[in-house]
Amino acid sequence: MTAVIHEQEAVPQPKQHGKPGGFLRHTNIVTGVLLGVVLAVVTYVIGGLLVPWGTENSNFSQVGESALVAATYAAWVIGFMIGIGAFAGPIRWWLGHDLTHADTEYLAGKDQGRGKYWKYTTDHKVVGIQYLVMGLFLLGLGGLLAMWIRTELGATWTEVFDPNFYNSIIGTHGIVMVIAMIIIAAGPLGNFIMPLMIGARDMAFPRLNALSFWLLFAAVPPLASNLLLGGIRDGWTAYQPLGTQAPVGMIGYQVCIITFAFSTGIAGVNLITTIVTMRARGMTWNRVPIFVIGILAAAIMGLVWFPMYQYSQVMALSDFAFGSAFFIPQNGGSVWLYENLFWLLGHPEVYVIVIPATAALMELMVVFLRKPLFSYKIAVAGFAGVVGISSLVWVHHMYMTGWSPAANYPFMLSTELISIPFGFLVLVMLGTIWRGKVWTRLPMMCVYAMLWNKIVGGITGVYLSDVPVDQYMHGSMFVVAHFHFMLMGAGLFGAMGAIAYWFPKMTGRMLNERIGSIGFWLAFFAFQLTFGSMFVAGLQGQPRRVLQFDDAFNVSNWLSTIGAYLIGVGMLIFLYAIITSWRSKVIAPSNPWGAKTLEWQTATPVPLNNFPVLPVVTSDPYDYGVPDPYLAIEKKLSDENQDATVGAR
Amino acid sequence: MSIVDDRPAPADQPEEPTNRPEVTYRLREWLARPYVRPILAMFVLFCLLVIPIAWLVVFFMNMSGAPASDIMSEIEQTILVFTIASAPLMSITLTILLYSLFGWGRVTGDEPPMQESPAIRSNAIGSYLWIGATSLLAAFLVIWGLLALANITASSYGSVSANQQPNATKAIDINVTGQQWVWTFEYPDQGKISSDVLVVPIDTPIYFNVTSVDVIHSFWVVELGVKIDANPGAITNTGVTPNKLGNFNIRCAELCGMHHAYMETQIQVVTQEQFDSWVREMGGKRTV
Repeated sequence: MTAVIHEQEAVPQPKQHGKPGGFLRHTNIVTGVLLGVVLAVVTYVIGGLLVPWGTENSNFSQVGESALVAATYAAWVIGFMIGIGAFAGPIRWWLGHDLTHADTEYLAGKDQGRGKYWKYTTDHKVVGIQYLVMGLFLLGLGGLLAMWIRTELGATWTEVFDPNFYNSIIGTHGIVMVIAMIIIAAGPLGNFIMPLMIGARDMAFPRLNALSFWLLFAAVPPLASNLLLGGIRDGWTAYQPLGTQAPVGMIGYQVCIITFAFSTGIAGVNLITTIVTMRARGMTWNRVPIFVIGILAAAIMGLVWFPMYQYSQVMALSDFAFGSAFFIPQNGGSVWLYENLFWLLGHPEVYVIVIPATAALMELMVVFLRKPLFSYKIAVAGFAGVVGISSLVWVHHMYMTGWSPAANYPFMLSTELISIPFGFLVLVMLGTIWRGKVWTRLPMMCVYAMLWNKIVGGITGVYLSDVPVDQYMHGSMFVVAHFHFMLMGAGLFGAMGAIAYWFPKMTGRMLNERIGSIGFWLAFFAFQLTFGSMFVAGLQGQPRRVLQFDDAFNVSNWLSTIGAYLIGVGMLIFLYAIITSWRSKVIAPSNPWGAKTLEWQTATPVPLNNFPVLPVVTSDPYDYGVPDPYLAIEKKLSDENQDATVGAR
Repeated sequence: MSIVDDRPAPADQPEEPTNRPEVTYRLREWLARPYVRPILAMFVLFCLLVIPIAWLVVFFMNMSGAPASDIMSEIEQTILVFTIASAPLMSITLTILLYSLFGWGRVTGDEPPMQESPAIRSNAIGSYLWIGATSLLAAFLVIWGLLALANITASSYGSVSANQQPNATKAIDINVTGQQWVWTFEYPDQGKISSDVLVVPIDTPIYFNVTSVDVIHSFWVVELGVKIDANPGAITNTGVTPNKLGNFNIRCAELCGMHHAYMETQIQVVTQEQFDSWVREMGGKRTV
């Protein structure tokens, strides 16, 4: 028997053009913003020459003004993306200048110090940190607006804000918080932690990863600018045709959503591909950490349903700027079309927010209880069930629209059905807590807080899924309290726990838990006060999105406002803990919690390649715990019983 | 066989061998575990908390007035049933969370604890019980909801105009129009009189044709449990039979622009005689 040894052919390496990195050596956030602003100004000026100023249309607004503003916003986004270097890759490809190894390492931010956080850097760890900071910034902005809202509602004797401005605040608060909540768990943790957790060297498409973050960055200024340009005035849902009455600030919202939907789509493809194809050797599907499953579920829902929202905003922008009539009934459009398109994403989006946070807490609670996850398969079934049914429930936001009274019956069924897979998730968490000795650290406390909020939010959600109850509750403060319990109570408190848990790996510092806990618990109890009394206001019959109301609702609104200020203080304390800990000089150990998932097995700070040698997985990461002592007793009893039965015969 | 546990052994040792089935042994053993009875007691206690909560829910709902129609009574009853039905779920979660903080031991300190917890990877009985109970609960709530919805749809006259209802003798059609930021009520059968206050006779089926001239509003008669969106370019229908005299609130439940908060008016439920004289006063003609 002869063995033929084939000599390996040399793989042709691309030629190095210039210094590693090429064009991207010269781009960073400053060039991006500069080019974005310049291009926007140029577009506005040149476009302004083309618009027939002084001509008014039937709505007494300038003909072409809206189209000009839309073009200006688009120019900002495109200019920014050119300036940050997003198009360098395709152009190099077109020129035939393939990336060399040195180029790729430059793009990943090798040896660039802190500057890499301000550049089009492809390393997933850099993108994760960028998402974290962006998420915290958006939460701060949304939180500030929330304080303004509660100030207005607490001052029951006067109007603090102009009603139009107040409507803009509630809309901007809503959409900013929704974007912040979508990215706060899945962004930093999905990008930074998830590839480490599955033993990969980076995401599947590193340059798309950078693209998804910088698209998000480009989407925020148009949204924030709406407050200066007359506001969006019709809530985060931007129902039409009210949207068409708004000033041009509305276009900022639409451009933001269209851009953000590209960002989430790209991120979703990237996350799904990474999870499916880049797991370490030996990490079969039943050994994947549950957090990765949660990210996968969220990415699938985002990828499938976000385009609906994007379409709705493209059509609304077209109505607004170009006079089409998708949603304007006077000209033959349909308001129900908008509502359907909007809620096709609008409801799955709730699960896009809640599921990564839930999965992250499942991942960390096993570490603090030193117990395996209770029934991994039920957890996976729960996620799968939520993803599946989430596509069939959107009409419960439209029970009272009169769109189709007969459709209320099946959608009531599907909506209440989704509580069963959600119950699976609660079962897994309670089962994991069951009989565990708890290591009382801040991340674990978030598990308790989150489970409580989630059960309150879930049960009130079942109320609202019921059409007769919704006939009273729809559009009332009860709804507001319910979804804050779900999105903030479960989503945000869950994300706080997850950030506290992975903080040592992401920043290389331990989170100051003493200060962090004070902020966390203050925010938690104030949260109960704020939204507990909001439930009362809703039961009494206070509609949402109002700035003045009957005296009957005064007391609950005062309590709610006091609670909201306390939440604000608590969150600021938590933020203080994050910032001071991040700046501290004390370096965290590489595995402070004694956890068994892969991300803790590599060094801190994580090297550019993540792992010196790619790990091989031989078991699932939940190998905690000692044999159950009661099992021994049970077995003994059962044996004796067996003996006795045999003896009796 | 080593028992790695610092807890006291179960109090009840097995009795003399009998030929009782194994399940009894397992249940007795389980009940004898030190944590089981406190948890059961807490569970029952928290379940009882639902009584004051349910009372509060009804109290808050009735603060601005008790239900003034069958629809609202049905809604209140449903909310009450849902509150009571969700008590076990709420209670078991609260119980386990609180008990776990104090009952199964706690570890503090900076280092990962050396002492590990029992490795319970699954529990068939527990999982089946949970999934079965939540599914039954969901099924019960769905069925209750579907029946209640059918009832409400019947009391609000579905989508058949009041004049074509079987009991159409006294039915009144009212065209409700929302516009920024007022409600207008038109009585087509009473000589097309229109008013910005809704006046209706008691115990008479009222049938609303709701629409809007500009943006989406939502017609909400709070104490009567009526709510339907007023959409531009479409007419939506609902109805109610008021069964209590008095003045009640009408609000707009969908953000409709600048003065959305002030888009309120009143519904006056009056006797048939008062209604007739109001119609005459408004210059309309009597119901035929």
